[in-house]
Amino acid sequence: MNEFRATVAIVRRHIDRHFAIDWAMQFGIVAAIAFAFTQTFAHPLFPLAIASVLAAASAAERSHAESLRRLTFFAMPLYGRQLARAHAIAPSLLALAIPAGYAAGSIARTHEFPAALLATMFGAALVSTLVALSSIFRDGLRASLYVVLAAIVGVAVTLPFVLQADYGLALSAALAAIAAFFALRAFGETLARYDPLPLSS
Amino acid sequence: MKILRATDVTFVRDGVPLVAPFSLSLDAGAAAEIVQPSTRAASIAARLCAAIVKPSRGVIYVGEFETRLQPPQAKRLVGFVDAGGFEGDAHALRCEVAFRADVWNLDKAAAQSRATEILDALGDGPYARAIALALVAEVALVVLDQPQRRFVGRVRKLVPEAAIVHTLVGATAALSAPVPASAPAVR
Repeated sequence: MNEFRATVAIVRRHIDRHFAIDWAMQFGIVAAIAFAFTQTFAHPLFPLAIASVLAAASAAERSHAESLRRLTFFAMPLYGRQLARAHAIAPSLLALAIPAGYAAGSIARTHEFPAALLATMFGAALVSTLVALSSIFRDGLRASLYVVLAAIVGVAVTLPFVLQADYGLALSAALAAIAAFFALRAFGETLARYDPLPLSS
Repeated sequence: MKILRATDVTFVRDGVPLVAPFSLSLDAGAAAEIVQPSTRAASIAARLCAAIVKPSRGVIYVGEFETRLQPPQAKRLVGFVDAGGFEGDAHALRCEVAFRADVWNLDKAAAQSRATEILDALGDGPYARAIALALVAEVALVVLDQPQRRFVGRVRKLVPEAAIVHTLVGATAALSAPVPASAPAVR
């Protein structure tokens, strides 16, 4: 078994024309929001919260969930953690459209956007996405709670930066890396435990 | 050599049994059927044998691999055909074969030619396409979920050394029946 080849195949399956359209739409919508509200939301907490919430919502989106629940993926000879890594790449790339769009909209309006804020937004969006992925294999209230948790964790890892602590950016980056690691592990566990049952007849 | 061993297997969700308990033992080249009371139960039984779903009670070995503990190793030996077949067109089938070749680490051209050979032997249709996909890799066990009878014999001709298990819906099994609910017809 060549895990790298399998991972690339799964990523290529996720990154198709619809993915490109979703990326562009997400980028455009967030850019429009930033253009309209960047001066109103001057405090760094606002763009970071926007990145976390939108990334969590985007990763948990239902049509995306349906594609990941397809039986094909569960018949493949891969461990849950291998499948998790492969499944996480496309949503993570999609999440990057949010900070990129916000920075673009903000720059179009004010001609500036702090690089440190952009880096922290990337971290928040990635963490929210990875936590929210586990909601895909849950239903109802538990799925919704996972999305809320994802948004909260995304914001939480940015607090050292927002509160302007010493080495705030580095601390936020370290927290984001730790949270992302555990979120990906949890997603792997979720996939390993998931039983794809046929719908009730 | 035993290819499939299932002992007192059932699947329970929220305290409700969804599969009539079954036991079976299958050698290479042998075939068996699992009778279940509903289409859903039959599909779950097929997925249990293919290591896609983990049993709530009992144990299943595919080859020497326990499906709950070593699902990737077990799945590598299994060609699973879902009851719905493969609904995509010829282009989608080629893409899916290429995808499987990547995941199972097979030669792409050889996989495409194997799929074409199988379709030539089986005739076209969603279920035949799903069989072609399942058999692009070399497998020791073929799991057919609620096939038409003719497909069981045709798959046997394609993979004479493989064990074949297929599910069907019948009145003989009940979800609460004691183990074994359905005596497998081992050839």
